[in-house]
Amino acid sequence: MKNKIRELRKKIEITQEELAERTDVTRQTIISLESGKYNPSLELAWKITKALKKKDIKDVFILK
Amino acid sequence: MKDENSKKQIIWRYGFSLAVITSGLLFNYFNIGKEFLGFASVGIWLIYVGFIMIAVITMQLLTKKKRKVDERSEFIAAKASRITFMGIIIFAFMVMIIDGIKEIGVSYSYFISYLLVGIVLLYLISYKILEKKY
Repeated sequence: MKNKIRELRKKIEITQEELAERTDVTRQTIISLESGKYNPSLELAWKITKALKKKDIKDVFILK
Repeated sequence: MKDENSKKQIIWRYGFSLAVITSGLLFNYFNIGKEFLGFASVGIWLIYVGFIMIAVITMQLLTKKKRKVDERSEFIAAKASRITFMGIIIFAFMVMIIDGIKEIGVSYSYFISYLLVGIVLLYLISYKILEKKY
């Protein structure tokens, strides 16, 4: 699964640490997600979508 | 709620350590056991282990870092546990085969202590490797 987390995070000007705090995960998890090493659960995917100020999960995550 | 749980956990850990020390004292008092893992008796070994446990718990309390557990760390922990479990099964098969070829003459106490250290090491190593992968 691909994602646009890094791109969207930079657009709203927040750091990995801030995104991690907003989604209640560690910064290491955000790094793994951005590099595509780890695929999140549906709950975390929704949290990230909300934290990145997007309405649809498909705006952030793309199923290959 | 979380704080309450960790408080309970600490009390249980200290309680268990004290129970280990008490059982060591009782073993010594009733002269139970012989030389054990390089110690003069099982009782002395239990007292030693109990004090080590208390020292470790106290050190953890004094240098407590709030470690966040998220779904990724739980995922890695689950995978590391599976690898460790597989490792134990493979090791058990190897021991059975080796024992079939040449009888293993190690005492149970040494064997189990090596096994426990091996399990902990295997878990830690696999966790660290998986942490880099995921």
